[in-house]
Amino acid sequence: MIRHLLKLVWNRKRSNALIILEICASFLVVFVVATLGLFFLDNYRRPLGFEWKNVWNVRVGIPHTGGGPGDGGSPEQAALFERLLREVRSFGAVEAAAGTAVTPFDQGGFGGSWTIDGKNVEMAIDEVTTGFADVMGLKMVAGRWFQEADSGLAWKPIVIDRELARAVYGTADPVGRPFGKPEPNERQYRVIGVVSDFRKSGELMPNDNFMFRLTDLRAPDVRTPSNLLVRVRPGTSPEFEEALVKHMQAVAPDWSFEVLPLAQVRATSSRFFLTPLIVAGTVAFFLLLMVGLGLIGVLWQNLLQRTREIGLRRAAGASRAAVHRQVLLEQMVVTSLGILLGTLLVVQIPVLDLIGVLSNRVFASGLLFAMVTMYLISILCTLYPSTLAARVQPAEALRYE
Amino acid sequence: MINLRQVSKQYRTERIETTALDNINLEIGKGEFISIMGPSGCGKSTLLNLMGLLDEPSSGQVALDGKSIDRYGDRALSRVRNERIGFIFQQFHLVSDLSVVDNVEIPLLYRRMSNKERRKAALAALDRVGLSSRIHHFPTQLSGGQQQRVAIARAIVGRPGILLADEPTGNLDSQMGDEIMGILEDLNQKEKTTIVMVTHDPRMADKTHRVVRLFDGRQVQ
Amino acid sequence: MIKNYLKVALKVLGRRKFFTFISLFAISVTLLVLLVATALLDNVFATGAPEVHADRMLGVYRMTMKGPENTWTSPVGYAFLDRYVRPMAKLPSVERVTITTAAESVVSYLNGRKIQSSMRRTDGEFWRVLAFDFVEGEPFTTADDENGRRVAVISETTRQRFFDGRPAVGKTLEADGQSFRVVGVVRDVPLLRYSSSADLWVPITTAKSSGYKEGWSGNFSALILARSPADLPQIKAEFQSILRGAEKQIPDPKSFKTLIAGADTLFEGAARLFVPGPPVVDPAIQLRAALLALMLGFMLLPTINLVNINLSRILDRASEIGVRRAFGASSRTLIGQFLIENLVLTLIGAGVGLALAAVVLRIFNASGLIEHAGLQINARVFLYGLAIALFFGLLSGVYPAWRMSKLHPVQALRGRSA
Repeated sequence: MIRHLLKLVWNRKRSNALIILEICASFLVVFVVATLGLFFLDNYRRPLGFEWKNVWNVRVGIPHTGGGPGDGGSPEQAALFERLLREVRSFGAVEAAAGTAVTPFDQGGFGGSWTIDGKNVEMAIDEVTTGFADVMGLKMVAGRWFQEADSGLAWKPIVIDRELARAVYGTADPVGRPFGKPEPNERQYRVIGVVSDFRKSGELMPNDNFMFRLTDLRAPDVRTPSNLLVRVRPGTSPEFEEALVKHMQAVAPDWSFEVLPLAQVRATSSRFFLTPLIVAGTVAFFLLLMVGLGLIGVLWQNLLQRTREIGLRRAAGASRAAVHRQVLLEQMVVTSLGILLGTLLVVQIPVLDLIGVLSNRVFASGLLFAMVTMYLISILCTLYPSTLAARVQPAEALRYE
Repeated sequence: MINLRQVSKQYRTERIETTALDNINLEIGKGEFISIMGPSGCGKSTLLNLMGLLDEPSSGQVALDGKSIDRYGDRALSRVRNERIGFIFQQFHLVSDLSVVDNVEIPLLYRRMSNKERRKAALAALDRVGLSSRIHHFPTQLSGGQQQRVAIARAIVGRPGILLADEPTGNLDSQMGDEIMGILEDLNQKEKTTIVMVTHDPRMADKTHRVVRLFDGRQVQ
Repeated sequence: MIKNYLKVALKVLGRRKFFTFISLFAISVTLLVLLVATALLDNVFATGAPEVHADRMLGVYRMTMKGPENTWTSPVGYAFLDRYVRPMAKLPSVERVTITTAAESVVSYLNGRKIQSSMRRTDGEFWRVLAFDFVEGEPFTTADDENGRRVAVISETTRQRFFDGRPAVGKTLEADGQSFRVVGVVRDVPLLRYSSSADLWVPITTAKSSGYKEGWSGNFSALILARSPADLPQIKAEFQSILRGAEKQIPDPKSFKTLIAGADTLFEGAARLFVPGPPVVDPAIQLRAALLALMLGFMLLPTINLVNINLSRILDRASEIGVRRAFGASSRTLIGQFLIENLVLTLIGAGVGLALAAVVLRIFNASGLIEHAGLQINARVFLYGLAIALFFGLLSGVYPAWRMSKLHPVQALRGRSA
């Protein structure tokens, strides 16, 4: 029976072509939306690498810094920042404080691309003060975090995450090893520790290669951090925020301070990613509804045209159930052709490695989801027309000229 | 073989009730070759449909091999149709998107058989009607006579005991019509197939054993 | 004649209600999405309060400084704009020039409540380049700016937040650690109006330190109001030659050699934002191409769907067509009738899509996803929508119409379609 239907569908491929095309296009739409959603889900389940609850980010607006290349600010500004850190730490409600160039969850950031041993390695970077690990609750898996004494070293200490360690050093222990080649007149970078993960872009994004550099507020060429991260004691009232800001403002009247709990930055960042997904998903849903309705109409009309054939088959001994089944199976074959076409198109992505961040697992899940969805839609849309086909009265059907 | 007792058929639309058949009593024995004749609209096709279990009588009984098909459900009816009856139509009703051999296989799809067995039976049937050289052609590539021969092959592929032919030569010229008639006679004589044929043509009717005449739904003589 | 066609079309559509329904569904969903997207784009790029003169307004929003090893792209510094762009006001084709910061997030603490607002620091000319709708008071002036007076213009929502909606002129509010006296209240500005939107506007000189005056990169942009739209190309060219002159005076000539910037329309300015760094192809062209590709890509599935439905509709009536042909109807008449039907269907679907879009936009505005979105279906959006609908209807009707013309009358009478 299947062979017979395959032959039937194949011989009718011209008139089936448009339906196959439509199913292929719908498949692609579902695939894109599903893969995106599964991508976010897959990332969400991995560990973040840091604690964000009870951490506040204070954006520090220092006049005329961070606005220009080579414009890190003056030593006076760095000293003022150091003073701010000290004063902030003295509050009872504050458990830890540190300076950072980049805010976790924030979309902006620092990045770099290095050529190490002939390989091109991309990474995200943050420059932080020593207190950062305490504030963010980082977990070390090898070596150690920065210390105050590190400021005096003849080389530049860095802490990297496991992804970067793997990319550069493979399975070897990176601690103590040099990292890349230094710029002229610059000291050599050397790895002093490895953190478990640090997904600065948030739970919805995949792991970056990450590198931490030490901000030594006493060094002459220091770049004063643009943010101050504060970990407050659980249960601290929001009124403390005002007191904190007022105090900092008093210490540095020229500077601007804006406090944002990391929870809020995280929410904004999630919205930034999830809103397009939700919109795309809603639009996709209505498009699929539209396709489903269209399929019902087209199938119904197709079967109307085949009344004589159906009548003949009934006369040859097909029961109503057999007709029902044939119509369903035929449509499954057509759908399969559409899905096949779509899969051929889509499978280029991992084969050509077009989207690096997409893991094969997410890709395969998206593919599966799209396939199942298209089959489900096809089955649903064939139910009514196939019932009508099965009800064809052979005598009536064969009577027509 | 086929027995009709006091069979009547009415068609009802919203306002009009038409009587297509009125009190038909007919008995057809095994191996007989019967023609049914009468003017247009007298109910010939309806009679054939009832015999072929394509339709149910409004009253009366239809029996095949002594068994009344009164209470048969759709599945049972379909099985009987599949195993015992073969149809031949005036318009051939071949599936234009399938090759000749695929068309002939159709009745066998509704039986449990392996693909090989089906193919074998179809080829045998096509050989019987003399079309072995055209098995992979498509209906649109054949003449009317050849198409009707395919239809006959399809009708006999399952080795049914009964063939029901509704004006089988109606769309063919006299030469092709004679060819077809020849095949039917051959089937009746060699395989002892019971054939009931509706026809307009008295020449064809003369070649059969018995003629049943209908007029306005009633048997006349 | 046309009326006859229309009557027939409506009758035919009424006969096969299910087909009509699924066609309308497809058209209205497609149009709904496209109209909402168009309204969004219109809100960003087209003239609308307070950027009422957007058709003769150019902005210098970002500048790239390029050197052999480094590339730095950011909004522009005050020093650069004040020295090179402000003098452009003296050009005969330029009416006036204003310099403003980008909208920055600032925090106020009011009775233990934290209020976040976006603030722009602007000069006095700002209020004469853009046309804000003042519901109270008036804007601050250039004199206010020059004297560093701590005055502010606030939006209605800000007035609601700080003063409970009561008259605010003369009252003070605190933001970013500074006190400002309110001099005017304006209607809310949609967030997407990136040249002008904010919750409160204050003079540039109120900045906490004068450090902003230095540096060629900073957080500023300049808006140039031309005398007429025809002057825009000339002003753009003039700006480019000014850039060439400025390159000779780059503050850090060791690191940077060239400047890449432009006096952009709203569209070009946004394009420049999406295409970071030095552009290979004109970013405006890239953005336009991207938007077109997106629209066509989206329309692909609905179009295939509609072609399928239309084709089915035609084949369904194959025998009717055969009869008409037999009675002498020419291909042209039949195709013409089909196209009219298609048009009627498209227009009705577009109407439904329009109504749905209006509802969706209202919900969207109320949801506050984008602050003060103020999305609406104005004449421009409506016309775009109509154009898209007609294009869509044409696209989905051509192939089925062609198939219809190929129907063999004899076969059609037999009910066969091939």
